[in-house]
Amino acid sequence: MLKNPSLAGMLVFAYLCLSACQAVTPWQRGILAKPSMALEPHPYQSAFREHIYGSRESASGGSAAKGGGCGCY
Amino acid sequence: MALPGLVLQPEAAHADDEVGFQYGHYQESQRQLYTVPNNANPIEAESLLGHARISLTDRIKFAFNYVQDTWSGATPVTTSPLVNRGNRSVRAATTTGRIVTVGASPYMTGQIKLDKNFTPLRYGDNGGPLIGPDERIVHVLSTASPETRKQGDFKLGYEWDESALDIGGGLSIENDYESHFGNVNTRWDFNQKLTTLNIGASYTDSATAAIIDHDASPYITNIALASLIDMPYADQIEQQGAMRILHGDRSDWSLNLGLSQVLTKASLFETSFGFSHSSGYLENPYKVTTIVFVDPKQTSSLLTGNVKAMLEQRPDERNQFNFSTRFVQHISPFDASLHVGYRYYHDDWDINAHTFDAEWVQPWGNTWTITPRIRYCSQTAANFYAPYLLSKQAYSTSVFDETTGQVTTTYFDKALLPANFSSDQRLSGYGALSGGVTVVKQLSKAISLEAGFEYYIHAGSLKLDGSGEGGYSDFNAFMANAELNVNLAALDQALPDAGHQHHHHSGHGHHAASPAGVMFDHMMSEPGAYMLGYRYMYSRQAGDMLHGENVVNDLAIVNNGCSKGAYRCRLTPTYMDMHMHMLDIMYAPTDWLNLMLMPQFMDMAMNLRQLEGAPEAPAGSHVHSGTGHATGGIGDTGLYALIKLFDMLVHHLHFTLGFSAPTGDVDIKLRRTHKQDEGYIHYGMQLGSGTWDFKPSLTYTGQVDAWLWGVQANATVRMEEHNDSGFAFGDIFQATWWGGYQLSRWLNTTLRASYTEQGAVSGQFYPVVGVVDNQFVSDVNPKAGPMDYPGSYGGWFWDLGLGLNVTIPDGQFAGNRFAVEWLQPVSTDVNGYQLDREGGLSATWYLAF
Repeated sequence: MLKNPSLAGMLVFAYLCLSACQAVTPWQRGILAKPSMALEPHPYQSAFREHIYGSRESASGGSAAKGGGCGCY
Repeated sequence: MALPGLVLQPEAAHADDEVGFQYGHYQESQRQLYTVPNNANPIEAESLLGHARISLTDRIKFAFNYVQDTWSGATPVTTSPLVNRGNRSVRAATTTGRIVTVGASPYMTGQIKLDKNFTPLRYGDNGGPLIGPDERIVHVLSTASPETRKQGDFKLGYEWDESALDIGGGLSIENDYESHFGNVNTRWDFNQKLTTLNIGASYTDSATAAIIDHDASPYITNIALASLIDMPYADQIEQQGAMRILHGDRSDWSLNLGLSQVLTKASLFETSFGFSHSSGYLENPYKVTTIVFVDPKQTSSLLTGNVKAMLEQRPDERNQFNFSTRFVQHISPFDASLHVGYRYYHDDWDINAHTFDAEWVQPWGNTWTITPRIRYCSQTAANFYAPYLLSKQAYSTSVFDETTGQVTTTYFDKALLPANFSSDQRLSGYGALSGGVTVVKQLSKAISLEAGFEYYIHAGSLKLDGSGEGGYSDFNAFMANAELNVNLAALDQALPDAGHQHHHHSGHGHHAASPAGVMFDHMMSEPGAYMLGYRYMYSRQAGDMLHGENVVNDLAIVNNGCSKGAYRCRLTPTYMDMHMHMLDIMYAPTDWLNLMLMPQFMDMAMNLRQLEGAPEAPAGSHVHSGTGHATGGIGDTGLYALIKLFDMLVHHLHFTLGFSAPTGDVDIKLRRTHKQDEGYIHYGMQLGSGTWDFKPSLTYTGQVDAWLWGVQANATVRMEEHNDSGFAFGDIFQATWWGGYQLSRWLNTTLRASYTEQGAVSGQFYPVVGVVDNQFVSDVNPKAGPMDYPGSYGGWFWDLGLGLNVTIPDGQFAGNRFAVEWLQPVSTDVNGYQLDREGGLSATWYLAF
């Protein structure tokens, strides 16, 4: 799998982050803990929308969509 | 589309225990048909989601989701040259002989004229003169009757200090499609949890069993020629009576790799890579591709094109790749967060897509969050996508052999058609721009309400380079949803700015649980208390047909089940299933008054069969049988006030004043089939009563030591003579008695008797004027079986119920109550002719806080 360029790129990025990102100590994470800073602030709303996109767009597979079915309409 | 198992949830680490419900609605705009009026309702979908996430121990987490979608409406079945008049006006003669256009009906085949350059030519109506070349294309729309999909899935996870493992699985079921899926995900935290790595894999196995539209099947070349030449998919089509069922299997597996990284005190970043591989039957069984066969050897100045339709043919494999990235930055001056995302998608069908989205999450005061959002997506077409195909060969050639006197017909050469083709517009090139807003109101630390709206514009011209599909395929849509979430971990905490502190009302101590099938059995006595409940009720009618208390044979139904004289019955139901999902939201403003709001979501399914000895179907009547009907969506909404009359240690008495608001549809109609319009679907399949109903009840409960008992009388009184569709259901009176025994601190069992009487339907559906075989018919409402007659509703019923109740007395789930009850019919005496009853199940979950 390491032959995969995307994976290799991601590992390099991870390494750079590990070594170069600004150190944020646990007591400095107040802002990061805010609900608005969640990667998915409204997960079920997003899931509903992704389900609609998924049944109307053919390039929507693989994202954080929830639910499935044929969508044969 | 997104398949269930392909989807790997980015799991929020250490998320709190939570229960929630969501309702969503999707509605598309009408498509442009150019030459005929489009009066068909476009596709709409209603969606219901219930979800729960709980910690079984500190380290073991369990999550469960239930999703149900019901959709109906007109959608493209193919795309063809406009001159083929794929959407043909339904015209009819009025009583005065005037011809009027009333709508559109789909035609997949036909003949067109083309010039020497193969450009389609337009002629005037009814054989009028040549007007000129016309290259416009159009979607051919077909209307789908309501269909429901149900999905249940779970996830079980174990968390270590710096890593986690989840396994999950689920099942998605609809009439024509079934999927099973499983997945596994792992998470590793590094670097003091500043870096998180997610790796996941999933597998999905799906089977299609699609009933091909009865009206369409003779016009689908794969079916029409199956007995003459070797046709694709012919061996996958099973014939069952008059029905043709297309079978196909597919499997999908996917891998996902994600990395999230905290960049600064106020920003973070996530990137992920996904790959999925699909194989098997990847087609949409309801989409056909229009093929215009033009024999180039024609000698006349104008060419004749033979317009045919073939089931779409997609490759049997698909590899999809996507790379997505997301950046979140806190904007301190506003205390807001900006989310920006980009996603690149590529597959080996040559679809490339770019999706950009941005959200601004703005907290407002202590309890509001407002999130405006914008999204843009642009995709290229699949390499085998074509709105329609032009094949320069004859569809068929007939040669007359003079020596034998026989005609030999040879058909087109399949090798001259592309190996794969589809005109599904999801595979076309287009852009989609959408924007919306989500509003969250935090009612307490534990309870939040959310509402969202988004408007969506799909257009070929919105593709990145503007070169997408033509304007004929453009549509707009909106989606709206509402959600209630309860954070179980925060139930004991009040809002920071709230003046008082709630404390946990675990199990409501003195009050024992009543059977699950009894509503309004219990009041909260603590001012300010809330209760949230979910109630599921299922009932099934099946088996013999009854008249009064007696089983009747088919001939009796034929002769007497429908209005005598004018009609004799031809159809009868074989089963009828009803599922109701209700949300109970209860609040105690004082110790003697509780207020309750009860929204409902229903879905129903009914199957019909031909009666033995039934007469031939007269023109203009409901002809289908062997297949079912389904409906689903929002039901009526209940508003109740519970008033305490008497409350002592042993005895409790309260009165409930309630109203049911007619929020459920009562105007659902059957789709046009067999060149016949059909009217309202059976009374019992409508989603509500359509009338404002008065719902009083009186409840007495008592308890001594481990014994509990209760009595309730309740009624439903229709406050209007008829609803907007012309009828009213009969009034209902019910009396029920129960006793129970507390087996342990947390478990009790109940036994219940119930008597119910309900009047017949009064009034009847207003006549629906429709077109049958190009003639106006003054009333096309179905009249084929007892279920279509108001007199065959209601009756007198006795039932016995056996129930189990679980109340969690302490620990982290204290206050949760679960109850389940099976109601077994013991005596049934129906009005008119009705199916026997098989029983009913009630299941409830309540949480007081």
